[in-house]
Amino acid sequence: MLALIFALLFQLAAASLTISIPPSTNLPNPHVLPATTHATLTTLPQEDRHDHILTTSLTRSSTLVFRNIPSGAPESYILEIRSAGFVFAPYRVDVAADGSILGIWETFRGNPWDNRGAEKYVVDVANKRTTNVVVEAKVLGRKGFYEERAKFSPLSLVKNPMILLAIVALVFTLGMPKLMENMDPEMRAEFEQQQRSSPISGASSAMAGGGFDLAGWMAGTTPKPSPAANAEGSGGATGRESGGSARRRA
Amino acid sequence: MRLQAALLAAACILPAAAIFSDEVNHIDFHHALLGAPSPDSTFFLKPSSASNASLLYTLSDKSILGAVNPRDGALVWRHNISQSASPAGGAGLLRGLDGNNAVVGAAGDYISSWGAQDGKLIWDQQFDGNTVADIELLELEDATATSDTRDTLALISGKSFGSVRRFDGDSGAVKWEYIDESGDIPFQVSSSPTEVFYISLQSGILKSSKIKVTALDPITGRQTSQQVLNTEGDITGPESVLFVGANTASPLIVWTDKAHKSIKINVIGSKKISSLAIDNTSGEEIRQITVHAPHKLNSRPHFLVHYKTGSGAWAEVYHVDLKSAAVTKAYQLPYLQGQSVIATSSIDANVYFTRVTDSEVVVVSSASHGIIGRWNVDASSADYAQAAVAEVVAKGKSVAVRAVVLRDSGDWQLIRNGQIEWTRPEALIEAVAAIWVEAEEKEDLAHELEVEGHDSIHGAYIHRVKRHVRDLQHLPDWLKELPQRIVSSVLSDEVTNLDSFGVAKPVVVATRSGRVYSLDTGRQGSVMWSVQASEQAWDVKDITARPGQVIIDLSDGSYVSINASTGESFTQPPLEATNVQSIANFVVSDGSSLVRLGAVGIREDGSPVTPFNDITGFLVTTSANGRVLGWIESDNKTPVWEFVPPSGQRVIKATARPAHDPVASIGKVLGNRSVLYKYLSTNLVLVTAVNEKDHVAGFYLLDGVSGKVLHSATQAGVDPTQPISSVMSENWFAYSFFGDAIGDSSAKGYQLVISELYESSIANDRGPLDAAGNYSSLHGSGTDSLPLPHVVSQSFMIAEPISHMIVTQTRQGITTRQLLCTLPSSNSIVGIPRPVLDPRRPVDRDPTSAEAEEGLFRYAPFLDFDGKWYLTHARDVAGIKDVLSRPTLLESTSLVLAYGGDIFGTRATPSQAFDVLGKSFSKLQLVLTVVALTGGVIFLAPVARKKQVNLLWKAT
Repeated sequence: MLALIFALLFQLAAASLTISIPPSTNLPNPHVLPATTHATLTTLPQEDRHDHILTTSLTRSSTLVFRNIPSGAPESYILEIRSAGFVFAPYRVDVAADGSILGIWETFRGNPWDNRGAEKYVVDVANKRTTNVVVEAKVLGRKGFYEERAKFSPLSLVKNPMILLAIVALVFTLGMPKLMENMDPEMRAEFEQQQRSSPISGASSAMAGGGFDLAGWMAGTTPKPSPAANAEGSGGATGRESGGSARRRA
Repeated sequence: MRLQAALLAAACILPAAAIFSDEVNHIDFHHALLGAPSPDSTFFLKPSSASNASLLYTLSDKSILGAVNPRDGALVWRHNISQSASPAGGAGLLRGLDGNNAVVGAAGDYISSWGAQDGKLIWDQQFDGNTVADIELLELEDATATSDTRDTLALISGKSFGSVRRFDGDSGAVKWEYIDESGDIPFQVSSSPTEVFYISLQSGILKSSKIKVTALDPITGRQTSQQVLNTEGDITGPESVLFVGANTASPLIVWTDKAHKSIKINVIGSKKISSLAIDNTSGEEIRQITVHAPHKLNSRPHFLVHYKTGSGAWAEVYHVDLKSAAVTKAYQLPYLQGQSVIATSSIDANVYFTRVTDSEVVVVSSASHGIIGRWNVDASSADYAQAAVAEVVAKGKSVAVRAVVLRDSGDWQLIRNGQIEWTRPEALIEAVAAIWVEAEEKEDLAHELEVEGHDSIHGAYIHRVKRHVRDLQHLPDWLKELPQRIVSSVLSDEVTNLDSFGVAKPVVVATRSGRVYSLDTGRQGSVMWSVQASEQAWDVKDITARPGQVIIDLSDGSYVSINASTGESFTQPPLEATNVQSIANFVVSDGSSLVRLGAVGIREDGSPVTPFNDITGFLVTTSANGRVLGWIESDNKTPVWEFVPPSGQRVIKATARPAHDPVASIGKVLGNRSVLYKYLSTNLVLVTAVNEKDHVAGFYLLDGVSGKVLHSATQAGVDPTQPISSVMSENWFAYSFFGDAIGDSSAKGYQLVISELYESSIANDRGPLDAAGNYSSLHGSGTDSLPLPHVVSQSFMIAEPISHMIVTQTRQGITTRQLLCTLPSSNSIVGIPRPVLDPRRPVDRDPTSAEAEEGLFRYAPFLDFDGKWYLTHARDVAGIKDVLSRPTLLESTSLVLAYGGDIFGTRATPSQAFDVLGKSFSKLQLVLTVVALTGGVIFLAPVARKKQVNLLWKAT
């Protein structure tokens, strides 16, 4: 009987801390948390005591309950909740010498310990017999473990600027003659005149004929090819053409 | 929040080397282990009253409670219930009931109830100093019971008392308690539909005991009756009672007389003891008697007694008459040579016994001896079954059976209708050493090349031509395989088969229990072979791989040589009896391979067992009294130097650079194209010393040749009971610890400190050694003495402890290194990219353009582990003690193996797989593109020719 009484007394004296995990935007359903989710209270060990790390597992009701927080000396614990895939905010839990909880604050990693954040709970001095403290955990974010593999889709191909350019060029080459045919003859003549004098067409015609003056074209100095070049070019072209016809004849 | 934003931006800059979800189980493997399941605490159970499929629950000898999916042997959930308890004495207990959505486990002084489906805690209790002797779930229906969670009965054994408690199924609140202070040994609890029985052993004269049965009212816990069974002479202690039936309609106590001549049975609640003669026809001594009875309340009162002799076994089935409490023998299962295990299962009231023997699985009903199911099993192996549990499903007149068998080797095997469905190598838990196997063929080629290298040019040429002609014999085979290879390479998952690049090396793992396994890392870590190399548990000190074999050194100086491909082992007893604390291996790095010079054992006091005269080198050891000692080859009596940490501190660890640690660049190019030269010395030793009283940890960087302290750092407020890990590579070292807030401005939490060593603080300066051709660690005078490094450090707060650190190794060290940290509290391994841990990150300001070009970004005190850094991704890799890394022939890829609890292996690619065509490279797509382009050319060629012709004709 004695043992039972002791046990009951002990349970009365020691405070318990319950952390509930409410639904949030990062975690709409707390019940999806894996069974390995757990919370720890950690501090520096006192003289030859080994109860400075307390651990508790996730319960069915998505809470984490610390029963029997050790008493003996005032302690300042860091409360951390760890779960695969979810990041929780750490808390600071101050415990009095009798094991009752003095206060719980949000804390920031990499900041001084005294730099306390939002107050989650603080002991009511007048009515000090709050044995069970309930605080809510805060989910800061999720961890994405996997790299997304770039998927092949025809749409992404179309979005590629190079492909777009090629398509436009194709449309022009195929569509231009049709367009020219539909133009009235005067316009067409004028257009052809313009095209012939334009540097690009000169370049393309020269390129087609060979012996292209790249430097000149790049400099834009000779919109009209020099007579020599012209003659050479046309000569080359005719030569080529004749060769071609010769081949055809053969 | 702003910090996190900054970090997120940082993470975007860095090349993420995360795993693709389609590479899971392809580049990595994981054995999630439980340990050897204890036969009494293993059962099939439907996790909730709504579900049809059952799960397999067990509590292992490592106090890991887990649920396994019987379909494929995958772990559903697990908890180590010894963690929260003080050192557990004896095996744990696990109980569950069909239709109850909780399983209750106990180990040592800790009892806990877990949701059967999801493995979440329902309630737990701890009884400081007392142990939980027995637990049962109350199956009886209370009028008050509203939920589908049944109450738990627990028997708690204290120093001078025994206490039976009834815990509420949902809250764990104590409903009643019965305390027995008579001094009897609390033994077990049991229940019948109407009563709870507390069974204790009353010490009698001459070490024999009597069984005392106390009946309790299940509602109030008050004692209703008490009986003492006259068992003196038969029972000497708890171990001589064979069985105390639980939760059956007629709970039983079964024991035998000392000579195994007769079996004695008491139906709990009655005073009558039935004594039945054991009909031993085998003529052999009975070694083991086990009793198998159904655990369900509405089952028929039938039970089976299994008698095992040295070479065979038989079983007898008994029926209990409920009215008269008389026990009668119903029938017998014949004596069979070889192995035999029995499992009990029940469907409604019917009880079935499944017997697994050498050649078959047989199912019989408890009512009659007719065999209702028989399957042949090929169990020709010498790997005997120890215990089994089974689940029988009736399909009309026939039955189907799933039996899970625990074998001597530690394999846990599910046999469904005679077919082996899966095998879990549970003995792999607690691996103490592991190494990758060195293939033999490669060494042949290396040998040939060496011959060519040492021959004259002419001789070498002839040798090479001969070798190539010899190689031609493989040509027909190669040609034959070619079409298949082309087809498979287009269709298969992996674009390139990388096995020949050393990414699928087998690994040899030695466990604490004396077993050695070979795992095929290329095939999800499947077991290639396993042998019991030592009959009892061994103390493995070192494991080394030689071509084709693996050598395991033991603490007594002996070694075991194991053939890497067959597992044949050979034990070499020690030359002289020594007690070796550790083994030092002398290894020199020769290009990308390691050359092993020799090994020497180290005694507990840090001294080498023998002088190592034949090896040029020095040795740094730690001694049991917390010092670091330096040795030269000729002297194993007195060290050449001794490092004694400041008073009160004790050396706990010393680390050096890994043997294979190639340095790709001797300097670090800064943004302005100047160079910071790295302080590179192969003789560095990083020593960790702690002062437990003052919570101080000292980290000392020593020169291993002279013992000179090159750098030291002291951290205050360190918790020495938490893991302090450290690692060193190239020109940097890192360590991690739990630090408390000691001043106003300090933070509380886990810290990771990184320090880089440079020759000088000034760029383009090589310090005092600039012009020196040589330097000496020993001769301190003059300018050629060993200069001190310029150390740059930065400290990061991290969210969790790091129990072990290692650096990824690649062939040439060009690939960025990753710091592989084992995180024991989240059961994962994270690979932190080195660029994140750059101590030259600008503090409190944004990086200048030159710094940004270097890849430096603003320092943030909190280092949040990005999910993409996790090598273990979503896996739960528990109990890791050690992680190994090894280069492959691919510069991008490093092999990683983690062991100690689970076994996990993966390929790390810290700078992404830049020399491998990944899965995203589709050969089919490439072929299609080429075809499409050819088509386009064929289509457009006439059009283009016509246009050119027209252009020329019209141009002039």
